[in-house]
Amino acid sequence: MKIGVSLLALFRSFEQTGISIAIRRSKWGFAAIEMIHLIALALFGASILVLALRTLGALMRDQPLARVSRSLAPWWVAGFGTMLCSGVLLVADGPLRYYANAAFRTKMALIGAAFLCSGVWYRAALRASAPGPASIGLRTAAALSLALWLAVGLAGRLIGVL
Amino acid sequence: MSVLDFCKALYDSPIGTEIRESDNLFSAIETVHVLGIIGVAGTIAIADLRLLGLALRQVPVPQVLDPLVRITWVGFAVMAASGALLFWSEAQKLYGNPAFRLKLVLLVLAAGNAGLFHVTTYRSVAQWGGGPTTPAKARVAAVCSLTLWSAIIACGRAIAYR
Repeated sequence: MKIGVSLLALFRSFEQTGISIAIRRSKWGFAAIEMIHLIALALFGASILVLALRTLGALMRDQPLARVSRSLAPWWVAGFGTMLCSGVLLVADGPLRYYANAAFRTKMALIGAAFLCSGVWYRAALRASAPGPASIGLRTAAALSLALWLAVGLAGRLIGVL
Repeated sequence: MSVLDFCKALYDSPIGTEIRESDNLFSAIETVHVLGIIGVAGTIAIADLRLLGLALRQVPVPQVLDPLVRITWVGFAVMAASGALLFWSEAQKLYGNPAFRLKLVLLVLAAGNAGLFHVTTYRSVAQWGGGPTTPAKARVAAVCSLTLWSAIIACGRAIAYR
């Protein structure tokens, strides 16, 4: 398949870059990037969790969902962005090894799905400007997004195992 | 019995040995511990961001902190239990591990910082007004908290690097 061939080529050329060589050489560099990945996980995970809990009506019920969403957006964006950058650097440690890893591939597919689901959830949440309970559709999108992000986390943990 | 003797006893015990020698069991407990970061450091981070006026600034502080603190307590129970099991299986090795010792010290400091804030500064929260500005002491506590928890996460990762 054409996409498969060019993805493999992408990972191959990533392995030749200076950054990949540098990370492979530095054990502490890799450790530091893992630390950043985990700190960003705390920020990203908690912002999504708090937004989900508001959507599900578990906290801050008097606050309009739209307000809570707008307020937390910079933080899950910052968290996700940091996880993405640090994640790319972690892959730099051995691009072909990750390419071949089933858990990694699954995680990437799940990130795509979670991102799409969260996008639908977020855009709908921005329109929910009244206080009180969110619609069934919003609550479903929130619950599904949470489940998908949890699956992303679990797949990430399996990368080291497989 | 010295502390080291106690650690050796834990390490050699049937439970300690079982967790350590079983690939899946240790990984599963570690997964709970890693993803549990969201429930403790993550929820604390959102609370700290509110105290710094950087997130949910239009929401009165108690409406943010009170539900988050309840989640943090549950998360802490999960982290303490999973952490205790991980420690149990590796106790003898962890005894001399500088990252582990530092992590324990930082955990005590973080608990102290949070406890102090809650019994002093937070007592007057009803007088703060509903807006983004909070007392200086609250903001100092928030910065200390964010710093300590980032360091705790980093130490946690560093434990595996001997």
